[in-house]
Amino acid sequence: MKTIVSFLMLLISIFTFAQTTISGKIVDAKNKPIANANVFIDGTYDGSNSNEMGEFYFETTTTANQTLTVSALTYESIKIAIIIEKYQKQSIVLKSNATELNEVLITAGTIESGGKSRVSVLKPLDILTTAGNPGDIVSAFKTLPGTQIVGESGKLFVRGGEANETQTFIDGVRVAQPYLQTTNNVPTRSTFSPLLFKGTTFSTGGYSAEYGEALSSVLIMNTIDEPDLEKTDIGLMSVGASIGNTKKWKANSLSLNTSYINLKPYQSLLPDNIKWIKPYQSIGGESVFRHRFDRGMLKFYTSYTASNLDVKQDNINYPDQLHLANKNNNLYSNVSYKGGFGNNWNLFAGLSYGNSLNTGLFDIYNFSSTENASNIKLKLSKPISVKVKTNFGVDYLYSNFSETVNNYNSGFNSNILAAFSETDFLFSKNLIAKAGFRFSKNYLLKENSIAPRLALAYKIAKNQQFSLAYGTFGQAPKQDYLKYAKNLQFEKAQHYILSYEYNNDKQIFKAEAYYKSYDNLVKYDTQTPLYNSNYTNNGSGYAKGVELFWRDNKNIRNLEYWVSYSYINTQRDYANFPKTATPSFVADHTLSIVSKYWIPKWRSQIGGTYTFSSGRPFNNPNETAFMNGKTQTYNNLSVNWAYLISPQKILFFSVTNIAGIKNVYGYNYSNTKDSNGIFQSQAIVPTADRFFFVGFFWTLSKDKKTNQLENM
Amino acid sequence: MIKLVTILALFICSLVSAQTQYEQGMTKALGLWNEGKVSESTALFERIALVEKDNWLPNYYIALMNSTAAFGVKDKDKMMAMIDKAQTALDVETLKNPNNPELMVVQALINTVWIVFDPMTNGQKYSPKTMELYQKALAIAPENPRVIASKAEFEIGAAAFWGKDTKLMCNEIKRAIPLFENEKLETPFSPKWGLDRAQELLKNCK
Repeated sequence: MKTIVSFLMLLISIFTFAQTTISGKIVDAKNKPIANANVFIDGTYDGSNSNEMGEFYFETTTTANQTLTVSALTYESIKIAIIIEKYQKQSIVLKSNATELNEVLITAGTIESGGKSRVSVLKPLDILTTAGNPGDIVSAFKTLPGTQIVGESGKLFVRGGEANETQTFIDGVRVAQPYLQTTNNVPTRSTFSPLLFKGTTFSTGGYSAEYGEALSSVLIMNTIDEPDLEKTDIGLMSVGASIGNTKKWKANSLSLNTSYINLKPYQSLLPDNIKWIKPYQSIGGESVFRHRFDRGMLKFYTSYTASNLDVKQDNINYPDQLHLANKNNNLYSNVSYKGGFGNNWNLFAGLSYGNSLNTGLFDIYNFSSTENASNIKLKLSKPISVKVKTNFGVDYLYSNFSETVNNYNSGFNSNILAAFSETDFLFSKNLIAKAGFRFSKNYLLKENSIAPRLALAYKIAKNQQFSLAYGTFGQAPKQDYLKYAKNLQFEKAQHYILSYEYNNDKQIFKAEAYYKSYDNLVKYDTQTPLYNSNYTNNGSGYAKGVELFWRDNKNIRNLEYWVSYSYINTQRDYANFPKTATPSFVADHTLSIVSKYWIPKWRSQIGGTYTFSSGRPFNNPNETAFMNGKTQTYNNLSVNWAYLISPQKILFFSVTNIAGIKNVYGYNYSNTKDSNGIFQSQAIVPTADRFFFVGFFWTLSKDKKTNQLENM
Repeated sequence: MIKLVTILALFICSLVSAQTQYEQGMTKALGLWNEGKVSESTALFERIALVEKDNWLPNYYIALMNSTAAFGVKDKDKMMAMIDKAQTALDVETLKNPNNPELMVVQALINTVWIVFDPMTNGQKYSPKTMELYQKALAIAPENPRVIASKAEFEIGAAAFWGKDTKLMCNEIKRAIPLFENEKLETPFSPKWGLDRAQELLKNCK
């Protein structure tokens, strides 16, 4: 009987259990209640949520030693050892998890496109759908603050710097020749198809120690990690044709695309301001192969372009016109691996090789040049704790350049070895600092340098923050000088940047002020850099300015627009300047307004881009003052229209400079006075006042839903 | 002998009570969801998921509940937090079970939330991915009514935009209805939602 009773007792106790109440309050470091924290006994269902007052209450059937776990969004989870029977009501403090959503980010000088980053200013699509840049990655960035409109060049000119002061990187490794070679005042394009890239970071100053050999700016582009699906893209354009294909299998994928551009049919239909003997034509292709490992990703990127043109330009110094011809072969290839290993370590390794072959004619001079360039980079990073992250690495840059002009040879062999290290300190959820340095040894110039970098960001409210950046930046003198003179030093710049950012649901406002000083700029004493010029590092300069950016995708349904404004004040004494002056590629005021309007009923996206810049300086030899001239203002309104015929077919139209405004970039003056004692002038104008583009794009894929809207 | 019986009884009891605990927990969590208490329900499912490591259902419901609740949320931070919760929970199970069609349907739902939130930005990015997912799910489970109906609903959205006929999709939904009604559940808590929505959609099919 006794045993039966005890048995029954046992049964009952199992069913009813001994219930213990666990209660308390969850607060943050400032003793403010945290609602909706999940409080529970590890390994059981026993638990509850905290209420608005941070209070929780639940019953548990467990006994003795247990672990009480508290987790809440944006806070670090906490585990507390408790003894159920002895548990007393208590307050539990959670530390905020600074790496969660809405963390403070260093954004001074940085403009991001794509990615899930909160600070992303451009979306990947923007590169393609911005009117006025027919799919050129670089030209989309020219609608952002900090850049100059230098229509005759097509390259990026950032904050008073020349085009060569910007370095381009693909998947972390340098691209030595990012542009196609063109000729005098015929704008170039970048060699990359926007199709293959996801996020792009464009930094107009104060960038990380990982990047060197850039005085003004870096453009960092990353290829797509994993394509969405298999497809074939076909494009027929008024200026050529393109075809692309993406395949996926297991952990691998391969994207290929190739295009052929020929301006001849267009030129015969709509002749422009240039007399072409052979209008521009190019054939090119790119491929990306990717392999996914358990903890890493290997990418192999290659691009190749062959282009040529032959042209006779009116030139004030060549009464019979200036004959220019150019053939360019550009090959670039890189392999990169990114992955984790060991305990939270991250490894990046990259290797690039570029070869650019250029042959042609300038007036009566035959020229040919070859550049072989390579970059090897190794970087390791590791979060030491939630608050401290560090990375360090080495960077090796090799470049071999040789040029022959009518049997005169010149060139150089450059080897640069650099080491860098940077550490992030997250002081609190609202304050982050990044400090680092870059050591660089240039074997050609026989010079070492150490460049410190420092950045800070402070969040003042939920959607607002300030960032500060400081750094010194060095770069070897450009090819044009280095091929003739080896006794030069690094050119140097210092950046000071203060930026404010407001970022709300689909709205971004950014204001940035900067001061930049230049030292050791190369000077020479002839009209153009020649083999027998005297080269020195005696130049210097400064740039300062204010930039504003506003983007709004919110207020008007289906309308996205952004406005950028840049003011710059810069002067430099460099190159062959007799005295300090503002260089001819700088306009004091630059404004861009970009808009895109989606009309669902018409299945169309209509876009417009307006750009304005104040006059640019030019030197008029008829005046005694140097660089005293100012061109008229620059105005350009470009529009485009993308029409979706069916889910897979798109028709695309665009007109650059629709109003046909006669813009002037600057003036060329004759080298000698005419009979009246005057230097005659000639305006440098765009190759065409208007440019029309029509394209038909067709995507073939299994699901019949994809199209190439992203390509435009 | 009695000792043996006691031990046996104890063992059975604990088994029974363990099962009851899971059933009680799941029932309570689903009940909280019905009452619209998403965060409480999520918290309970999270606790269950931590105990029942080999069961994909608790995380499945976290993902399903948070993604459906995220539809139509206008505040970006709030929407992102919900989607984040859904995606994190779903990723845990997708990793273990990459070919589970029910998980694919929820992934497609999450993608659809992104598309609906900002069609201009996300439409191009997520539409093809979502279609690919539905096609894969349908190939694995051609008779799963949730796969059939969700895919058809997604396609109806696209067809409306292109001004295309929705007859094919409507036929698919019609096909799904008896499949819903005759669905045999593997466990009492296996997914069984979707019939109401399918009937609702069918009303617009004429």
